[in-house]
Amino acid sequence: MRNGLIFFVGLFAALLASWAGVVLGSNAQLGRLAPYYDENEGKAFPERAPGLAARGQLVYDDLGCAACHTQQVRRPGFGNDKARGWGDRQNVARDYIHQTRVQLGASRLGPDLANVGARKPPYDAEDFLKLLYTGNGGMPAYRFLFETRAVVGQVSAKALHFTGALAPAAGRELLPTRRAEALVAYLLSLNNAYEYPEARPVEPAAAQEGTKP
Amino acid sequence: MSAPSPHDPRLEQAGATDESLLAAHEQALGKKPDDKAHYKLLPLALLFIFSGIIFYAGTYLNHYSGGYSAAVFDENGHPAAGAAPAKIDPLVLGKKNYELVCTTCHQATGLGVPGVYPPLAGSEWVNGSEERMIRIVVYGLKGPLHVKGANFGAAAMPVFGKVAGSGYNWNDEKIAAVLSYVRQEWGNKSAPITADKVAAIRAKEGDRKEWAQDELLKLP
Amino acid sequence: MNTASQAEVSEIDPSARCTLTLLIATALFWLVVSGVLALLNFIQAFTPTFLADCPLFTYGRLRALQETAFLYGWAANAGVAVALWLLARLGGAPQRSLNWTRAGTVFWNVGVLAGLIGIACGEGSSAAGLHLPGYIQPLLLVAFGAMAVPGVLAWTGRSRPVTFAAQWYAVAALFLFPWLFSAAQVTLLCAPVRGVLQAIAGGWFVQGLWTLWLAPLALAAAYYLLPKITGRVIPNYDFASFGFWTLLVVGGWTGGRHLVGGPVPAWVVTVAIVSCTLLLIHYLVVAINLRGAFGQPGVVLKFVGFGLAAYLLGGLADAVTAMRSVAVLTQFTWFAQAQSQLALGGAFSMIVFGAIYFLTPRITGQAWLSTPLIRAHYAAAGLGTVVLIGSLAAAGWVQGHDLANASVSFADIAVHTRPWLQTAAAAQALLVVGNALFALHFLRSVCPCNAGATTLPFRQPPTMEASAS
Repeated sequence: MRNGLIFFVGLFAALLASWAGVVLGSNAQLGRLAPYYDENEGKAFPERAPGLAARGQLVYDDLGCAACHTQQVRRPGFGNDKARGWGDRQNVARDYIHQTRVQLGASRLGPDLANVGARKPPYDAEDFLKLLYTGNGGMPAYRFLFETRAVVGQVSAKALHFTGALAPAAGRELLPTRRAEALVAYLLSLNNAYEYPEARPVEPAAAQEGTKP
Repeated sequence: MSAPSPHDPRLEQAGATDESLLAAHEQALGKKPDDKAHYKLLPLALLFIFSGIIFYAGTYLNHYSGGYSAAVFDENGHPAAGAAPAKIDPLVLGKKNYELVCTTCHQATGLGVPGVYPPLAGSEWVNGSEERMIRIVVYGLKGPLHVKGANFGAAAMPVFGKVAGSGYNWNDEKIAAVLSYVRQEWGNKSAPITADKVAAIRAKEGDRKEWAQDELLKLP
Repeated sequence: MNTASQAEVSEIDPSARCTLTLLIATALFWLVVSGVLALLNFIQAFTPTFLADCPLFTYGRLRALQETAFLYGWAANAGVAVALWLLARLGGAPQRSLNWTRAGTVFWNVGVLAGLIGIACGEGSSAAGLHLPGYIQPLLLVAFGAMAVPGVLAWTGRSRPVTFAAQWYAVAALFLFPWLFSAAQVTLLCAPVRGVLQAIAGGWFVQGLWTLWLAPLALAAAYYLLPKITGRVIPNYDFASFGFWTLLVVGGWTGGRHLVGGPVPAWVVTVAIVSCTLLLIHYLVVAINLRGAFGQPGVVLKFVGFGLAAYLLGGLADAVTAMRSVAVLTQFTWFAQAQSQLALGGAFSMIVFGAIYFLTPRITGQAWLSTPLIRAHYAAAGLGTVVLIGSLAAAGWVQGHDLANASVSFADIAVHTRPWLQTAAAAQALLVVGNALFALHFLRSVCPCNAGATTLPFRQPPTMEASAS
């Protein structure tokens, strides 16, 4: 290793090879992945989320929700994501092509959210807002995403209705901020129910061909 | 001054000069080959271990890389298995398009509007010749029409196929699906129509104007 | 000072005194900051209401803050300091262009501070290892370039033609980080790749940070300190270059390790698993070369030995948990945190602590002030790290088994992991105390006002025998 130039070229080549192989290689395969057009439905999947949801993803990102929630359902039989009701199929690359900041997450202190907009029984926006306001055993309350203000005229249609200790004082109402609304719109848009061909489970016969060495 | 311990935590003493450190290691690299054939055990053992690791890694890579396909997400999968597109169910596709377009005139019940739009349910045309049905949908129909004992003629069937003057430009699959759907709905029990058949007729007729009842009745 | 001490404390070291002191002092500042943030974060993990009303410190943002303060605050500054020092020593000439390093250090740390404020205010991102706001990252890139200049100059302009393993690792780390960092910036910030490719590129970067930057920095220190202190040639040194190239060539391919079962093509994960397995070759070589570090007297080698054990254990744990049948349990749990602690807190920090204990008296000409403080730091850091990693691994194990059983609710999982997380928080508190003591001890020991407080002389080191192996 006396020859400085060869040493540096070697170092650089080592880095470049892994970069080309992992990042450029997968980019060549997936970089132009198109939505899947379904003739039966007459629509392309994944569907684009509304603009408010796209902004909600940035809220999700900057609050660091991904520190506790993943958005990647593993296939049935590998882990038990399906039994927990997180999704019936494995997430595939196509699910994420419209997302600006993909939030796969690496930690499950809370449930997976990849299909949270399609949960049964369905949540609606108010359920999510209330959950954000109150928190639950494991999740903190995000009170700073809400504001209490004096009622002007009628109580706003967006106001959250709590009873008991959480109810706002008389003459005041509890409203979600724009950020909370965007975040909830984003959560409601999370729905990967559509079955892509590549997301179908591998047939057992095909699986047997690839059994362990 | 008393000699301090070489390992006083406050000042760890060096055990070698940098110069001798470099020189000694350089010398360790340039050791003479083992000319007495005293093969050292360690390099040999390492060689075996390294080969074992590489062999294992290569086997694993070979079995579980899914053919390096972008569409294989399960390591047990094969590129071919995941590539097949979703199967189109003609009845689902047909129903969808029927509800999207055809219901306006023929109604969701398939009964049409008496005197204006002919019925499909139980119609001898729908359950009759494939040749005629395909031509009607692909190229449209103008003029009087006799269906289930009643006369129609006020409205014209639009052009649906991928032919000149078409307002819909439906492909052959879609036409076949809608035809199959109407031939099996509302109690109709006729055989489905394939897209190939539609394509064949379209190829045979080329571009032409709407059909009339008399022309159609000449066909098989 | 007598002549012997002048021979050991050559003109190489004092020339870098100001620069290296600055680097290490800022590094220790960030280490303590990151430790405190991590402590708050652990408390939040078992008491979700803690600081919940403060938007600056949501659980997610605190995680990002502590990780960033550790990687870019502590590890970067300390790693550069150690690398520059040993490259100058082994190069045999005083550092040149150190004002580049000083300027770079100032800008780097201002950038890290601004970045941390940005993360707390919600400008950061969730991408692991790249939490810093996008507008800070180009500044850091340029600043790092300036910091690393003297290291590369010390290599190219070395007065001795021969090179040593410690130099390879140090130069590789200094040279590769800017490329790694800029490649990640381009693919994730300037022209973001689409969809899951962001996760693939992010994984490549995070694993690269460890295998191509921090691990080489730690190994550089270990490869230098062991023969330097024991005075013995590294056994089976002819394998060292093989181990080095294995790490560099294979390390970058381990990026898909965290995406097992995820929405990426199977080959991305399979290649990463295979690479983690192949890296065992590297760990084996390091173990054979540096096995002499275990059970040595002297505090420096105690730190290095501890760090090395963590490094080897971490490599083995990486290879095992990358396997799909194990990852299905440990993925997404505290176990992954335990592994990253093992690498960063166990291996990197401990080895670099050892290096700082060795190099500080040499750059300042002053011995450390207090033996009890050193021993206290070793005890706190060692015990804290072991308990922290052990309890996180236990929490991860419990969590993994609970997650695998769909009838266990998340509230129950929180109850089951709670005692382990409380233990982890206690261990983290111990680490913070130990590291804060270390930082204070460092500042007092390098302070010119304490010059001559201890009168330990440097001994003229003997010459290394070539045939020792």
